[in-house]
Parts: sequence; structure tokens; C-alpha cells
Amino acid sequence: MVVLRAGLCPGLTEEMIQLLRANGIRTVVDFVSSDLENVAWKCSLSYKALVAVRRVLLAQFSAFPANGADLYEELKSSTAILPTGSPSLDQLLDSGLYTGEVTELMGAPGSGKTQVCLGIAASVSLGLKQHVLFLDSTGGFTASRLYQMLRAQTEDEEEQLEALQRIQVVRVFNIYELLSALQELRDQLQGLCVVSSVGPLKLVVLDSVSAVIYPLLGGRQSEGLALMMQLSKELKTLAREFSLAVVVTNQVTRDGSTGPLKPALGRSWSFVPSTRLLLESREAPWEKATTQRVASLAKSPRQPTGVQVELDIGNGDVLEPSPVTPAQGL
Amino acid sequence: MRHPFPYEHFRNKSFVFFSLVGTLPLAPALRSRLAAAGFQTAQELLDTGPCGLSKEIGISREEALEALQVVRQECHGDAARTPGGSGATRKCTALELLEEEQTQGFIITFCSALDTILGGGVQLTKITEICGAPGVGKTQLCMQLAVDVQIPECFGGVAGEAVFVDTEGSFMVDRVVDIAAACVRHCHLIAEAQQEEDHREALETFSLENILSHIYYFRCRDYIELLAQVYLLPEFLSEHSKVRLVVIDGIAFPFRHDFEDLSLRTRLLNGLAQQLIIIANDHKTAVVLTNQMTTRIGQSQSTLVPALGESWGHAATVRLIFHWDNSQRLATLYKSPSQKESTIPYDITVSIPLGWRFTDGSTLSAVKEFSGKSDKGLCSLSVAFQLPSEGKQ
Repeated sequence: MVVLRAGLCPGLTEEMIQLLRANGIRTVVDFVSSDLENVAWKCSLSYKALVAVRRVLLAQFSAFPANGADLYEELKSSTAILPTGSPSLDQLLDSGLYTGEVTELMGAPGSGKTQVCLGIAASVSLGLKQHVLFLDSTGGFTASRLYQMLRAQTEDEEEQLEALQRIQVVRVFNIYELLSALQELRDQLQGLCVVSSVGPLKLVVLDSVSAVIYPLLGGRQSEGLALMMQLSKELKTLAREFSLAVVVTNQVTRDGSTGPLKPALGRSWSFVPSTRLLLESREAPWEKATTQRVASLAKSPRQPTGVQVELDIGNGDVLEPSPVTPAQGL
Repeated sequence: MRHPFPYEHFRNKSFVFFSLVGTLPLAPALRSRLAAAGFQTAQELLDTGPCGLSKEIGISREEALEALQVVRQECHGDAARTPGGSGATRKCTALELLEEEQTQGFIITFCSALDTILGGGVQLTKITEICGAPGVGKTQLCMQLAVDVQIPECFGGVAGEAVFVDTEGSFMVDRVVDIAAACVRHCHLIAEAQQEEDHREALETFSLENILSHIYYFRCRDYIELLAQVYLLPEFLSEHSKVRLVVIDGIAFPFRHDFEDLSLRTRLLNGLAQQLIIIANDHKTAVVLTNQMTTRIGQSQSTLVPALGESWGHAATVRLIFHWDNSQRLATLYKSPSQKESTIPYDITVSIPLGWRFTDGSTLSAVKEFSGKSDKGLCSLSVAFQLPSEGKQ
């Protein structure tokens, strides 16, 4: 919805804009979709000039179709698969987190979402030596736990410190702060900001997305949905344009008090992540303390859903993956 | 008059100028008008000025001025915000956070088993939630923490003040007096045992009157008062910068009755949770909430679960559940970012003030003190206090 401005393209002068505006044509879309003969007659402008301007505007603003084969080649060279540090989780995700996509982890409180996120951040930072951006909206990021995980993976202190420095943590507690943090990231990646503390960034973790969106939904205000969609657009375009893997965590809710668990944020959000994992623990937690969790695949573009694996979020030790058991679809 | 966007000119300036109109905190009606008129970035708005803006989108001069004020604040705010709550200063590497965490103190609970499963005590900058059935000891622990936060640093405390927000009316001042008196006694005993200069100096200011005068008490009768109190807390905390603990005793109570619109309740609770997280983070305080339990009736059995629903479970970073197992009280750490889940038994024991004869604990109902079984540190003195053979006095 770009407003027509003088100098937007050669041939578009200020008087022309005033005449067009007087006849109700203010934006590029209005101009390009109107009948030029009519416009030439009403505004007493030259038809040829208008056609020339339209051609330039279309070239500037329209999207070009891309060849499928070219797209495939480009994806092959720019997509990376990031191992999560836990082989059974990698198996669930078809060998790891794909860059250019949004992956969602959902689970009840205490199911281990933050632990898995910390594990992924540790593995990417230490194993792949890539930078990680951790957007924390719940205050649950604990650096000492991350340090514990790093110490379990390597003995070298130098490497541990470097890995810690590669993980940048930004605390965002409402939607506007989150959006401006993402905007800042985009500007840094585009090179518009001189201060670039973000090295080769490959992973963005957002823990959790429902904490910033929930205060906006419900009640009688409708802008919550609009902001949620804006956030999803921002995350997906960042992932695609800069080849990042984006991991978000989400809550689960119930219908009434006895219904089955379902992911929070509703149907609109369910189209945003391409892969969804559900984390749960086996029995009621305060009867028997355990670090075992079960991860099941709820949505995936590549694997059949319903596959389950067991994870141990305590030490990062991995158990044998359990045999494929179809779980209830979500 | 607008010109093509000169990106190079703004290369080193604040990136917020590029922020899209959709992400600025303006009223929705205004935002949709701006979008319809074709404005895309904040910089375009600022360039147009109030007169141009009011003409373009058909609002009055005053409204245009107000909107530009908001935009300007948003753009310049990042550079000039106070250290209390700036988006820019909330960014750091994991290494810096680790160093910060390692130097942060804990608020001890005087029960060393509980402190151990919590990883040292109640953590600052995090929200801790205590859930339990009535009568299990939640308010007792809150009152104990309000006293413990004030322990001077040389005795292992954080030397802070406390804010107590009461929604149920269960705060008993005479109980706090007893707890504070016992705490002062313990510190005196340590000072006598260790004979250090700074201990004696600290004890001069650590007296009963001082402790009580540094607990700020607020009484909220319904959910609106509670929300208002929480949203006004940041100002209060900026004036009283020594506060290190905010206790909200009974977060479930105002929300559990008389709420027809459940989606409104979820929205309010989530907004409240985010506000509390901001308070905990920006002012380096520990936030402690107490919650009730409710019954979930399943297909074959019924279980006790924390109240306020599934979405509230995500608000607290650390969750403790107090429950009964036959006649033994148990505390379970259910959710924590750095500690494993574990359960410990605890007792609410009786402390013997000087001058009383030790009788059977069950008849001494007036004075109770929350302490646990342990033999290390400060708690060793409380155990010695209670052995009948020693405390004959």
C-alpha cells in the first residue's frame, strides 16, 4: 500500500500526483488497477506517460514468479539441518532442525520445554560453533543450567566460555518489545547497523510465544489476532530470508477441565509452525519425581505423525527410542 | 512532502525509525487509518508532522500530536530509558548472565532441606509459586520469607525489604513478631559463636522494630484492586529500591469466584503474570505467589491440581506443591529451570522461647515456627534450641 510520491519513478512528477490525488488515486495499487484511458481523460494527462509510469511501477513493486528448479537449487545450497544434541529428538525431526522453518515445542507446565530449548542452544553453540539468539519472555532462562549442560558435553573451559558468549539472551516481556527485538535482528542481519554482535546466526529460540500473545487474546479486543499474525509473518520471513532455524515454545490448554490437551493460541497459530512436537511426562508429577519425558510428533511436513520417543531432560543422556506407537492426533 | 527513503543516511542511527507502523503501540483505530493512508514506517510519520498527518488521515491536530508523541517516545526511548526497564539493557550474552547469577543471593527459608531442593533458597528475579491445600503452611512460609529477606549480608541473607500483598486477610502481625524475634535470636547466637566485627555492627540495625517497619503491607479485596496494586508496584519499587521480595498471598482467591467470562480471566491472569515477570526482572526481586488447589475429576479418579487452570501454570518459573501423605507433610519441587524434581518431608515445629518450660508440643499452639530437620548452618541453632534436655531454662 505504498503512497504515490514524487520521484518514486521517473516521469512521476508532483503535479501529476496532485492531479491523481484529486481524482481519488493515492496509492500504487489504485494507480495500477485503474483504467488508464479513463484517468488520462479525467486528469488531462498524457496516456503514454501514464502507461510508462505504470510499467515502471509494476516492475518495481510486483513479485516475480520463480522457476521451481531454481528454487530447489537455492534451497539445497542454503538450507542447513541443525542437530539438536539429542539423537532421538533428531530422529523425530528427520535428522534435526531445518533452517528456513519454524518448529514448535508444546507442553504442559513442567514438561521440559525450556530444558529442551537450552539443550538445543547449547548443542548449536558448542557443537556447530554458530551464534544463537534466545528470546526469553517468561524469565525462565537460567544460565547456570546452560553452563551445566555445556560442562557435561565438553571438559575444555575455553570452549565452554566461547559457547556461552555465542548465545545472546534478550528478555522481552510484551509483544511490542518482541517485535522491536525482531526488527533489530533484521536490521543487524541486513547490515544496516554498525554494531553487529550477532555473528553467523543460525538459530533463534523464542520461549515462549504464548506468554506474550495470551494477554492480548480474549476479552473483546480483536487486535490480538492481528499482532499474532504480524509476529508470525516476521518470524517466517526472518527464517526464510536469512536461513535461520526458529524454535518457539507454546502452552497447551484443555477444553473445560477434562478435555484432551490441545495446543494454545488456536487454529490461526496452528498454521504457522511447520513442525510441532508435544512434550509430556508419563505420570502425575508429584507422585514420583522423574526426568523422563515423552516427545511425540504432532505435525510434520516430512515424517508421519504419531511417532514417539523418550527423552531424559536431566542429564542429556538419551534412552533407546521406544518403538513407534501411534499417539492420538492433535 | 515526502521523499524516497534514504537508508544510507540512517545507517548509524537508531534502527527503531524503520519500525513498521503496525508494531507501534498506537490505538487500533488510528493504526488502521494510518495503514489505509499508506504510511509504513515510523520515520514517515515523524517526517510528515502533525499538520500533515491530521490532514492526511482526517484526525484533529491534538490527536495527531499525541500520536507523534508516542512514536517519538518509542524511537528515542530505546536510547534514553532508565536502567530500570530498557529493552536495550535487557540484552546480554549467556556468559554475562551466568556471572550475574553466580553473584546473586538467595532468600533462605530456614529449612535447609527446602533450601537444598530449591538450589539454595528462593531465587531473586524469578517467580516462585507455592500451591497447597488449606492449612498446609503456605502463609507461614510467606511470613517467614518476609522476615528472612531482611537478614544482613554477613549472615548469608540479602539485606532487603519486603512487600506483602494480602488478598485473603490471613496475615497475622503477632505471628510475624514471633518469627522475627526468633530470627533475631538466631543471628545473635551466630554472632556470639563467631565473634566478628561486622556481625555485631549488622545486629545493631537488625532489630524487631526494624524488621517490622520494612515489611510493606497492602490489602486487596478484589481482583481489580489486586491488578491495580500490581500495575502500580513498579513505581513503588523505584522509590523503595531495597525491596527484594514481593509476596502475593492468595493469587487465586480473587479470581475464583464471580467470574463469568473465563476468557477475560485468562487474559487478565496472563497480563498479571507478565507484569510480575517484568517486576521480578527489572527490580531484581523475588516474587512469591501462593495458590490454592482444586480437584480435577478424571475418568477413573480425581486428582488435586493447582487452581487457575493450565495457562496459569506457565506463569511461575518455580513451582512448589505442598501436600499430605497420610500424616506427613511433603513439599515437592514440581517445576524449576535448574533443579531436578524432588520431594522432601517437612514439619511445622514448635520453637521454645526463653523462659518457657518444654511441654508436649501439641499443647503449645500459640507459638509456631516454620523450621525443618537439618544439621547445617543457621538451622543447627534452631534444632539445639528445641532439644528439651538443653532448653531447660
